[in-house]
Amino acid sequence: MKVLVLNCGSSSVKFQLIETSLEAIKNDTEERLAKGIIERIGMPASIIKFESRDNQPYRATAEILEHRVAINKVVQLLTDPDYGVIKHKEEIGAVGHRVVHGGERFSTSKIIDPDVYKEMIECIELAPLHNPHNIKGYEIAREILPNVPHVAVFDTSFHQSMPAYAYIYGLPYVLYERHAIRRYGFHGTSHRYLTFRVERITGIPRNQFKLITCHLGNGCSIAAVKFGKSIDTSMGFTPLEGLVMGTRCGDIDPAIVLHVMAKEELELHEINTLLNKHSGLYGISGVSNDMREVIKSADKGNERAQLALDIFCYRLKKYIAAYAGAMGGTDYIAFTAGIGENSPVVRQKSCEGLEFMGIKIDQERNNQTVGKEALISTDDSPVKVFVIPTNEELVIARDTVRCINGVI
Amino acid sequence: MNIRTIGVIGCGAVVQGIARAIAQYGYNVIVKAKDEEEVAECQQALEALLDREIERWGITRTEKKIFLQRIKFTASYDDVVDCDFIIESLIEEFDLKVACFKQLEEVVKKDIVFATNTSTLSISELASHTSRPERMVGMHFITPVHKRPLVEIVRGLHTSDETVEIAKELVRSIGKMPIEVFEYPGYVTTRIIIPFLNEAMNVVMEGVASAADVDTAMQLGFNLPVGPLEMADQMGLDEVLLWMEHLFQELGDLKYRPCPLLRKMVRAGYLGVKTRRGFFTYDERENRIE
Repeated sequence: MKVLVLNCGSSSVKFQLIETSLEAIKNDTEERLAKGIIERIGMPASIIKFESRDNQPYRATAEILEHRVAINKVVQLLTDPDYGVIKHKEEIGAVGHRVVHGGERFSTSKIIDPDVYKEMIECIELAPLHNPHNIKGYEIAREILPNVPHVAVFDTSFHQSMPAYAYIYGLPYVLYERHAIRRYGFHGTSHRYLTFRVERITGIPRNQFKLITCHLGNGCSIAAVKFGKSIDTSMGFTPLEGLVMGTRCGDIDPAIVLHVMAKEELELHEINTLLNKHSGLYGISGVSNDMREVIKSADKGNERAQLALDIFCYRLKKYIAAYAGAMGGTDYIAFTAGIGENSPVVRQKSCEGLEFMGIKIDQERNNQTVGKEALISTDDSPVKVFVIPTNEELVIARDTVRCINGVI
Repeated sequence: MNIRTIGVIGCGAVVQGIARAIAQYGYNVIVKAKDEEEVAECQQALEALLDREIERWGITRTEKKIFLQRIKFTASYDDVVDCDFIIESLIEEFDLKVACFKQLEEVVKKDIVFATNTSTLSISELASHTSRPERMVGMHFITPVHKRPLVEIVRGLHTSDETVEIAKELVRSIGKMPIEVFEYPGYVTTRIIIPFLNEAMNVVMEGVASAADVDTAMQLGFNLPVGPLEMADQMGLDEVLLWMEHLFQELGDLKYRPCPLLRKMVRAGYLGVKTRRGFFTYDERENRIE
């Protein structure tokens, strides 16, 4: 079955067309037929990038003012006689949608029926910046492809297995009851993919190992996965908590917010932007939110860039050790996403000094591993450390097939 | 009606604020100023406004770039032909506004709505000088526009329900709250706030309390973000006087009579924040120092 995977953001639509089935999932033999992205929707020159298995890559700019036009364009590209991979849109058997927040209602992916749709709408208040676009994408796709099942795959659902003592904050409990204030965690689809890959690489069933997954992209989160289930993760009620990120501060003393608001006479939206967009690597280094630029500057002697890198890795190391503690040790660590896949320096620094708990990085292996799947720990390292390029789209396609076949 | 591009007519702080607020929500904006000199002035002031916001962590450099990309400046009416909505925000001169609408009528699509940002002039009277009175509505933005989430939608005698709805929907789509007002001097906001400021000035003039104490009393006593005198300084004392005089003339009630101290200060050139001296003094970054 051909599954269209859609990821609708505020001004972008990412998509893949994946050929998959229950059989293919079992044998790990899915095939990506096409992938692409439409960026800068709503601006004068939207950028369209499209690659398919069979044809030359397609690049173009066009005026795409709204998501409806963008999603129509996706279908048009897939069926294009010159660039496309299918003849008719009817060949698309199902659509899998990435949805950022599933609240407490969704601990697994779901076929979107009227009840699920209603509950997705109710989750908007938990992720007002993301969920509306995901849902809009679904509504439009449903109009264009009305006769196929649509499945929602939530970023939060993998972490719904956390115990209450990991997800309840030290705040008045009534806030949880009134406003559902708790840790939800994000990047669940990615953490789940890493768990699956580690199982495949090692041949050991997931219910027999402990794993720490580090998703280090523009947003960063880390999860403790014990016997196949997420038992803790660093992002919390929103994706602001936890590790230091590109422009987000991660963990800070909450009293700082109140103090800075008073001192700088900031309004709510100003402090919100300060924490989410002016902080992290960018805010500390003053150089960039991009780890590659930060490392380049640090290498040239820029002290603040060096400090940003040190803070990033130190925080990550603390979390790795904490999650090993939470699980009573760990068997594996997996790094993924932009920084995790491509930065030997970050991996090295964040594991440095953790030899006492059985983590030994092989420098040569680590340095040689950029953007590919590999083992980077030494052969005698009790904890095996992997780099695994993430593949959230594949997970979404798989869940779509599983939901349709009733095996989820 | 699908609104993509909005024409904003005028120059000055309110126009910059409107353009910035609208661009944030993805609309294209065409700011039509009087001449090339005003265009340059307006463009510079808008950049400065965005830079100040970056300094206060409100937006990022990328966002500034995106907003500026959506805003075009021009000195020619020909460049607003494709606009789907017009907001006129010229200075409060009746003839000037009428002349503007007459020129707009010649170039723009015929079914689009004209909104006028006025707090004193009559929408009905302005509308009667155009060939499309039912498509004319008042939109009263409160300054500083990008920080005040309220717009008064003012219905003139001719204004159609559809026009009011289009205006309200536009206001909601830029993250602000519309309230509907029937045409009447001062609408709601100006009519209530101006006598409040005037009364604070009377209290100072009568020697009941110092300016600083009046502001502290009202600010702390009623949980206001700033006191009435600092608020008047921010609005510009000359503006406050103009509004007060207008209300007094239109409504004839003594309660709208401008405070003599206000007149005296305006005559002396103490106009508030913009001259760095009003009821209080201000530094070059517009922070109150005394």
